[in-house]
Parts: sequence; structure tokens; C-alpha cells
Amino acid sequence: MSAAADHGVAPTTARRFTGLLGVVSLVVGWELAARALEGAFILAAPSDVAVWIVQNAGLLGRAFRVTLGNAAAGFVAGNLAAVMLAALALAWPRGERVIAGLALLIFCLPLVATGPILRVLYGPGPGPQITLAALAVYYTTFVPLLVGLRAAPSSWFDLVRSYGRGAMAELVHIRAAAALPYLFAGLQIAAPAAFLGAMVGEFTGAERGMGVLTIRATRALDVDAIWALATVAAAASMAVYAAVGVIARAVLTEPPPVILSPPPMPRTGGARGRAIVLTTAAVLGFALLLWWGAMELFDLNRFFAKRPDDVWAALVTAPDAAETRATLAQALRETSVYLLPGFAAGLALGTGMAVALTLLPAIGAGATAVAVALRSVPIVTTAPLVVLLLGRGAVGTIVLVAVMVFFPTFVACLHGLRQAPGQVIDVLDSYAAGPIARLWHVQLPAMLPAFFAAARMSVPASVLAVTVVEWLATGRGIGSLMALSASLSDYDMLWSSVVIVALLSVAGYAGVGAVERRVLSVYAAEQMTR
Amino acid sequence: MTRPLISRRAVLASGTAGLAAAGLGLRAPRAFAQSPVSLQLSWLHSVQFAGSYIALQRGWWKEAGLDVSLLQGGPNAPVEPPVVSGAALVGISAADYTAAAVEQGAPFKIIAVAMQKNPFVIASLPDNPVKVPADLEGKKIGMALANTPVLQALCTLNDVDIDKIEVVPTQYSAQPLTSGEVDCLLCWETDLPVAMAIQGIESVTMLMADHGYAVHSQTYIATEDSLANRRGELVALLSGEVRGWEAYREDTDAAAALTVEMFPDAGLDLETQKLQAERQVPLMFSELTDTHGFGWWTDEAVAENIATLALLGRTVTPDLWDRSILEEVHGS
Repeated sequence: MSAAADHGVAPTTARRFTGLLGVVSLVVGWELAARALEGAFILAAPSDVAVWIVQNAGLLGRAFRVTLGNAAAGFVAGNLAAVMLAALALAWPRGERVIAGLALLIFCLPLVATGPILRVLYGPGPGPQITLAALAVYYTTFVPLLVGLRAAPSSWFDLVRSYGRGAMAELVHIRAAAALPYLFAGLQIAAPAAFLGAMVGEFTGAERGMGVLTIRATRALDVDAIWALATVAAAASMAVYAAVGVIARAVLTEPPPVILSPPPMPRTGGARGRAIVLTTAAVLGFALLLWWGAMELFDLNRFFAKRPDDVWAALVTAPDAAETRATLAQALRETSVYLLPGFAAGLALGTGMAVALTLLPAIGAGATAVAVALRSVPIVTTAPLVVLLLGRGAVGTIVLVAVMVFFPTFVACLHGLRQAPGQVIDVLDSYAAGPIARLWHVQLPAMLPAFFAAARMSVPASVLAVTVVEWLATGRGIGSLMALSASLSDYDMLWSSVVIVALLSVAGYAGVGAVERRVLSVYAAEQMTR
Repeated sequence: MTRPLISRRAVLASGTAGLAAAGLGLRAPRAFAQSPVSLQLSWLHSVQFAGSYIALQRGWWKEAGLDVSLLQGGPNAPVEPPVVSGAALVGISAADYTAAAVEQGAPFKIIAVAMQKNPFVIASLPDNPVKVPADLEGKKIGMALANTPVLQALCTLNDVDIDKIEVVPTQYSAQPLTSGEVDCLLCWETDLPVAMAIQGIESVTMLMADHGYAVHSQTYIATEDSLANRRGELVALLSGEVRGWEAYREDTDAAAALTVEMFPDAGLDLETQKLQAERQVPLMFSELTDTHGFGWWTDEAVAENIATLALLGRTVTPDLWDRSILEEVHGS
């Protein structure tokens, strides 16, 4: 995962001016495009959006407060859970891999399917909204915390021990302080994610909120309202992102870290292979136990709360198991046609842009600020917009996935490129090497860990994007299959989809990790020890 | 190691339970001696359920000793599970969704039918209209791919070659039609055509129910267990519905106004609601309901439903429909 912040050098007047210029030209271009497309019910002009917001200020304000309240509750619950998980991992180091694996698996559960399941569990009320918001945030806080709690020089621990103090003092005086910047980095990206989770939760039958208004506006062909809601949601997400950044700068003595990736597997060779197998088995075992145990504990009805053995039967032993598998495989194939090109394009564009901006630093500042801000725009609001603009074909979906991957990759790579050691650059400079040589020999190797961290976290993010678009817009692939299965009471299919999607996401995440180790060992061996 | 996850869930669960308890605590005095029941709606609050709002607002359920909560639906909201689990006494479903749930083991019966005529239409624009099913050949239709069986059934019923229709997968919006991407849409009579009319775009609609597509919609479902053990509550709930919908028919504008007033946070537009209220009347009321009362159906209608459902790949028997509650409602 990668979090980034517009920290570091305070923005100069020139940078502010570039940023302002960027925003103004964006709004003017938007207005002109909307005027040109008038009557097509696609794009609302900023002036119309402003009018709608003013005319519906009361309604919008109430909906916004509801969604924000649920997002905030989920934010707190999810982050508390992350802190507790990280504390447990710290207290029980041998279990850390399993805790991290389980946390990832739960993070990879598709929102499209967890939404209705949570609604059934909670009944009416804000339960699903808050839970989905919590689920959307806990992993992005948990992972940096895991790193942060260890990110202290060992001499500090020696010092505490030399005073005869124990683990508690270590935790309070060293680990907590060392983890704080990492915690803030996690909280910053968690804030917009909570907003997204709360809005998706509202689709499961909430009485009020921004998500409810979005559904209504889409059906009513109220383009002004659709764009107004998207604008407000985007602005709110950017504002909370910035607010956490401001708090972080006020609290922290050093800037928060930008690259947040889980610690690498410590062992090598055969021992590591065995550790991976053991960890995977333990994670799956605990996941099954948790799944089955929770359902038995709450005595959930088997009509919709399918147990692990029901899913096993549906996929393996039932007479129509082959048919079910074929349906799933077909849906996954349809999805991969959108997912893989979008994922690759997002990574390539993000890296390419970051490299281009490093070679041309003049335009870098403004673009970074815009990218950081746009990264926090929630996908449920962008999905209808991109589909309106690009249609329901492959292009619209691929672009959405690419956008979802592009921003984190871009921000992470840009930061990674700047991490290149100054001394090495000085050496190259003294040999009068050009910017290309510098890029190839120094900056790109320095960027790789950041790139891979972004690529790994983009796996669940792109799965989220593609399933949401399939569900809301294109009606194809696994996202649509999940929504359809829920409406047709085919809960065997729904739970099977959930299991497959979560496992594939985790596998994709691990796959990127494997590629990372191979590439780093060849191309940037010095980056292997982090 | 499972502890933190469970305790997180427990924290969340106890949090909501606390909230719910607080809510109940506040409601308790008012709800004294009333039995609480829930009605699970199939979509967001709108005039689509105005009969229920009238019954609630005029206190007809309260008179009968019921404290009714109306649970809203939504695009990702489950309807059948709350009824199966007993969280809702009655749910608003449709014959095809009910049949699918029954196939999966849900013990449902249809106890009343709000929409005698299925609301599915083919909507088109007046300069390139679809007035009869044969007009579909050579046209581009925008619809969710999930509805392909519906189109297939219509084609089979009317000897139309489905291969001559180009299906364009779209999300549920009128925009592809207004922008000319497609020639027609598969949608409900009461939503997208109404949205277009409010935006000043007149459309032509061909009601599929007029061309043999017989699938009861907005059906009231309950479990066999409720039918056996909670008959009193079912009768009271449905008689409130019947009174509510009969009052609705008297003045659809007032029903629309009440809907907008009751749900100020739903973002409802009064004119849209009035038009929708007017357009759903012919789907819900007929000579049949004039004679037998709201919610009624005939054995012939059941036979037609079974035939259409078979085209949709659903096998059902006439005992999916149970008229005993309605008979008590209208008999009393």
C-alpha cells in the first residue's frame, strides 16, 4: 500500500498559483464541455451544479450529515480494530503472518456481496453502512501500523532495558512514538475510503444519505443532481484527506512516511516456502472457523447464510456443481477482460507520468497536488460519471479500473523517485551523466519498492472498481453475477462468488509480491532489506 | 487470534444493539400493547408504496393493534431473507423473484397481488416507436443483460425472432434512449418513462402485460409458518394495506403529496410522484378488483402466470398463491 502526502516543502506561492490555474482551467473546460453536450443528459455544467446545490441545500445538507456520521463511526471502529490487530500481532509475533493474512482476506471480500449480507444480519438502521466503512479502512491502517510499531532503532530498546523497564515502557515510549507517523499515513487514506464504504452501505436499503440520493438521481435522469452529488462527495473526501494531513503536520515532528508496505517474509529458500504454506493453511483454517462460528453463534438461517460446507457442496459435490463452476468461470473471464488491461494501464500510466514529471520537474508540483486530491474521490460517484461519458462498453470499465490504479501508483512512484540517494546522484553528476542515465541507474531502482507496494494494494482496489462498475453499469462479469444472485435468492452462488473473488484477490496480491521479490533481487538487490 | 475480530464484531454489534435498544426504549410507551411487525418494501420509498403510507398515517394499523415498520429496499437490499428469517412478517416481491426463492427452499406463499399487470414496458420515442412486439425486430434495445429471459419470453409469446433484436447492455437509466444509443428500453411503466416525461421528453410505452407477459408484480409474500401461526397479524396488516390502497385510488395526488411529506430526506420530486401515482393505477386496479377488492387474483391469472414463469425457466404450482388471508380481509 502506499500513502502519500503533500508534505515536505511548504507550497510556495508559485506552486499555489500553478495549482489554482489548474483548477480554474479544469472548471472552465468542464463548463464548455457541458455546454457543448447540452441535451444529451451526460454532463452537467459547473454553473448548473452550483445552482442545484444551492436550491437543494437543505436536503443535501441532511443527507451529507447522515453519510458523514456513518463514515465517521466506521472510520473510528475500523481504525480501532486495526490498532487492536496490530497490538495483537506485536504481542504475539509468531501469529503476525496469520493475522496479516486473515486481515487481507477479509479486506478482499467484495462490497457488492457483503452489503446485502450485512443488511440481513443487522436489519434496518445504520449497521451495514458503518460496518462497510470500517471494513474499507481497517486494512490500510493496520499494515502501516505493523511496520511503524517496529520502526525504531534497536539502540532505543536497549536504552529502555538499561533503565530496567519492560515491554510496556517500550510500547509507550518507543513503539507508539515510532508508529505515530505511520498511523497518520494510514488514517489519511482511510478517511475517503470510509466515505465510500458508507455510501455503498446505503445502497442496501438505507433511509437517507448521499448514496440514496445518488440512486434516485440516476433513475430520474437528473444529471445536475448526479454531478452535484459527485462533486460534494469528492470535495468532502478531499477535505477529510487534507484535514488529516493538517493534523498530522501539527502533531508530528517528522513527515509521515509515504510508502506503506507490509514487512517482507524474513526467511529465505526452502524455509520460506514452508512458512508460506503453513501460514496459508493457518489463515484458511481460521477464516473457515470464523465464518462457520459466526453463523452458528448468531444462528443465521441457512436460506441465505451459507456455511462453508454449503459452498463446498455448491462448487464440488452438488449435481449442478459443474454448471455453477462454469457460470462462475464465465463471469470471471468477462471480468478479467476489463480488469487486467485496466490494471496494467493504470500501473503503466502512473509510473510513466511519475517518470515524465521527474524529467520535467517544472509541471510536477501542480500535477501532484491534483493527483493526490483526485485519488480520494469515491468510486461510486465516479462510476456513473465515467460510464455516462464513455459508455457501457469495455472502454468505460477499463478506464475506471485504470483510474483506480493510476492515482496511488503515480503518487507512490513519484515519491519513490525522489528517494534516490543524493550521494549516488552526485557521483553520476560528477561523471556528467545525463538525466536518462540518472533515471535508469538510480531513480528507477529507488522507485521499485514504492511501485510494487502500490501495485499490490491496487489489486483489491481494482477488483472493487470492476465489480462496482459491473454491478451498477455494465451488467456483465462477476460483479453483476453477485448482484443478480442476491436478487434471485441464489445464495449458494453469491457465497461461492464471494469466496472465489476474495481468494483470487489475495492470490493476486501475493503474486505481485512474488514478482516484486524476483525483480528486486535482480534489478535492485539493495532494496531487498527494508 | 480470532479474538480481536470477534470482539470487533461484538463491539459493532453491541453498538448497534445499543442504538436499537435506545430506539425501542423511546418507542415503547407509544407502542404499548401493539404487536410490532415489519413490512419489507422492494425499493426506495416512493409513491410505489403510497397505500402503506396512507394506512400508517391514518392509524389504521394502530387501530388493529399493529405497530408497523416499513423497511425500505434499494438496489443492493435483500427482500426475501428478512421474510425467511422472520425479521419482516411480509415482504413485497414479484412472482418471478418469489418463484426463484421458493426453488432455493424459501417457504413462501403469495398472499396478495398489488400489481395485477406486470409493469414492464418497452419504452421508445414517438419518431421511432415500438407499439407492438413485432416492431422490436431490427431495433436496438437497452436493458440489463439479467433481463434477457424477460425479452425472450415476450418474443416467444408473440412469435418475434429475438435474434433480430440487438441487445445493448445498459444500466437502469433513460439516458441511452435520449442520447440515441438505443431505439428502446426495457423498463417499468412507472419509472423511466415518468422521468423522461418530467424532463419534457414524451415516450411511447408498450405494456408487456398487454402482450401475454403475465407475471404478478409487487406481490405480498409471507412464510408458511406465518400463515399457520400469525394469521391475525397477517389479516390486520393486509386489511390496512387494502384500505390504504383504496384511499390511494380516490386521490392519487394526495397520496403523492403524503409520500413527499413523509420522506423529506428521500429527495422526491412532487410532480414526478404525482405522475407515477397516476400511471400505476391501471396496473393495480381493474374490474376484478372493483368486484373482489384490492389485491385479488383469479385462477385464470394464476394459470397464465405459471405459463409465463415456465418461459422464464421457473417451475411453480398453483399452491404458490394462497388467497385465504385476502378472503378473511374482504369477507369481514
